[in-house]
Amino acid sequence: MSQNTLAPAAQRRRERRFGLFSLLVLAVMLGVFASSTRGAQATFILNDARGQLFELPDLILPVVPTVIVLSALVAGIAARQFTRGFGSRAVVIVGVVALLFVIAFLTWAAAGGQLSVVGLLRGSLARATPIAFGAMAGVLCERAGVINIAIEGQFLAGAFTAAVVSSIAGNPWVGLFGGISAGVLVAFMLAGLSIKFQADQIVVGVVLIVFATGVTSFLNTQVLSGNPQLNSPTRFASIAVPVLSEIPLIGPVLFRQSLLVFGMIAAVIVLQYGLFQTRWGLRLRSVGEPPKAADTVGIHVLATRYKAVLLGGVLAGIGGSWWTLDAVGQFSREMTGGRGFIALAAMLVGRYSPVGAFGAALIFGFSDQLATSLQLLRVPVPSDLLLTAPYLVTIVVVAGLIGRLRVPAADGKPYVKQ
Amino acid sequence: MLAACGEAPDDDVVTDVEETDPVDDEVDDDEVDDEPAAGADFRGCLVTDQGGVDDASFNETAWAGLQQAEADLGVDIAVLESNSEADFAPNIQAFIDQDCDLIVTVGFLLGEATEEAAIANPDQDFAIVDYAFDDDYDNLLELVFATEQAGFLAGYVAASMTETGTIGTFGGINIPPVTVFMDGYLAGASYYNDEFGTDVEVQGWDGSDGLFTGNFESQDDGRNITDTLLQAGADIIMPVAGPVGLGTATAIEDFGEGKMIWVDTDGYESTQFGELMLTSVMKNMDVAVYDAMAAVVDGTFEGGLYVGTLENDGVGIAPFHDFEDEVPQEVKDAIPGLIDGIIAGEVSVDPADY
Repeated sequence: MSQNTLAPAAQRRRERRFGLFSLLVLAVMLGVFASSTRGAQATFILNDARGQLFELPDLILPVVPTVIVLSALVAGIAARQFTRGFGSRAVVIVGVVALLFVIAFLTWAAAGGQLSVVGLLRGSLARATPIAFGAMAGVLCERAGVINIAIEGQFLAGAFTAAVVSSIAGNPWVGLFGGISAGVLVAFMLAGLSIKFQADQIVVGVVLIVFATGVTSFLNTQVLSGNPQLNSPTRFASIAVPVLSEIPLIGPVLFRQSLLVFGMIAAVIVLQYGLFQTRWGLRLRSVGEPPKAADTVGIHVLATRYKAVLLGGVLAGIGGSWWTLDAVGQFSREMTGGRGFIALAAMLVGRYSPVGAFGAALIFGFSDQLATSLQLLRVPVPSDLLLTAPYLVTIVVVAGLIGRLRVPAADGKPYVKQ
Repeated sequence: MLAACGEAPDDDVVTDVEETDPVDDEVDDDEVDDEPAAGADFRGCLVTDQGGVDDASFNETAWAGLQQAEADLGVDIAVLESNSEADFAPNIQAFIDQDCDLIVTVGFLLGEATEEAAIANPDQDFAIVDYAFDDDYDNLLELVFATEQAGFLAGYVAASMTETGTIGTFGGINIPPVTVFMDGYLAGASYYNDEFGTDVEVQGWDGSDGLFTGNFESQDDGRNITDTLLQAGADIIMPVAGPVGLGTATAIEDFGEGKMIWVDTDGYESTQFGELMLTSVMKNMDVAVYDAMAAVVDGTFEGGLYVGTLENDGVGIAPFHDFEDEVPQEVKDAIPGLIDGIIAGEVSVDPADY
């Protein structure tokens, strides 16, 4: 949105760098995928194993011709990147190249086997859910000028509290309220220490993660393992939207999901509108840019920051609840497995906007899910290596995009009224 | 801490052991009735792997063996959970420093750390679950289990019960104590195919590589991998991944149909998802650990290799519970013959033979 003001020379250099990326992709496609001997055809199953309104035929692609067509498209794009360039659409085109590469890769991987497209997409969306919630929490905090790296801690606290409260109440809604409260509590500590006491926000974040990990692990061992009735939460059932969920392919992916997945999509839309189209959003963003200006026009900087961090706590608490109220009906030690940090990466890759963060979360969810789907296809890559895919993607995406990021000017800087 | 860990599951575990294992009952009678506190001065200590002591599976079963020893023999027991591989050696050392009479380490992943500790401390008795070393040590008892034998029976039953013609499995980490379950499962299904001329396919393991979550902790990974298997058409799934298997149960609940096969313990008793459990591949680690502790108390402890098999009741399959009426009678009738065949070596449990 704001990076299209590069000088023409820098613009050319960047296009050429993108061109090199395209050539690299092309080399892999032709060198590895097109010379595959894994099988002549790749079968993509478009139907949901549960059944739907009408059955779609399986999509059967001849491997080598498909890869060659995709390679030709990439070659064409590379040629233009080196000559005329794509101007303002340059970044989008890189995404297109990556997409063509993924399709070629899947065709190669599914050669001689079958890949369930529904399973792949549905799993991606489900796994993106907590990451998107966490990334939105980060967006709210950092737009208001408070660095929140404690998302992982908010996740853990939310997951633990949601599990216990839902177990006691026997109701996932009450459990969700518990998870939100825990997320807000951690956010309150973050806000208090970093806004009021002006402590170093990175250090506060690390401390809160360690604190949440320690407390939840301790209580898990001391209380939950001896009282399993406190750790058997009622979960949100998967909801099938009538009629829509019966549509082949998109039905089971988009309309047969759990409540939290629907909630996440709603939150993305509301937050994107709220942050960039409303007075509330403008004020929130203004305290994250040099806040003196906001103060001068009468915006209460500290109160606005407090509210943003606490609202972020609500979102992170919901994200944490996903583990125990949606994914699995049981809390276990450190079950969030570092996804809070991936959420942080998603926030950066998404350039501090809710929709961007959602897109980035989808990429991470997809690579996470792909690691599983590929194992089933017996791709000639050891399963141990495949499982590192999400982390590799994180590194590649973050390294490729972070460099050109515009951080809110007052991010991480406490404000003292003079 | 021990009381908190022990109380609730303790009752279940004790009944479980008594119901399922006749060998143990004999031991009980000898030890309990005559000398209730024979082991009062002894201390049994357990180091878990990363799954945690309440994993409803692997670590919990080994711990149940020590809890049983506490109840019957009056020994003092303690447990240390390992959060990461970096904790293995320090946890073992902590127990050496605490004068434990027997240190039980649970799991293949602790193999190296245990061997080093056993060499460095020749007067300290150790027992390790799931690791057979190249060398034998006088102070190190290796408890391994021929789970492929019981896995074979599970694969056979699953093949008879599938409605889609596809059954599935996945593991935690690609290591032998995990994949032997899957080997047997695959061989059992293949045997069923040969016998009945069916074409049941096993997804997730082909005898050399397959599906793995890459850990023994993330139930979310278990749910996800199960959803992938369900989408691929599998309707009976055997997760060999400790607590990760609980994710399989939630995936099946969400999907609306499907059954599962639990491992290590009888999942009907040890998890809250009994209604999904077709059967369980039981690896009676609790009995083996109990016997090792009892041997220490008796002064008869010896290092070396113990292999749990169908023959010595070290492994077995659990009752069908809710599916008792649905499993075909001919399959039920065939199982005793298969067990005899496996013990006699006439029925191969190696998938490479099919």
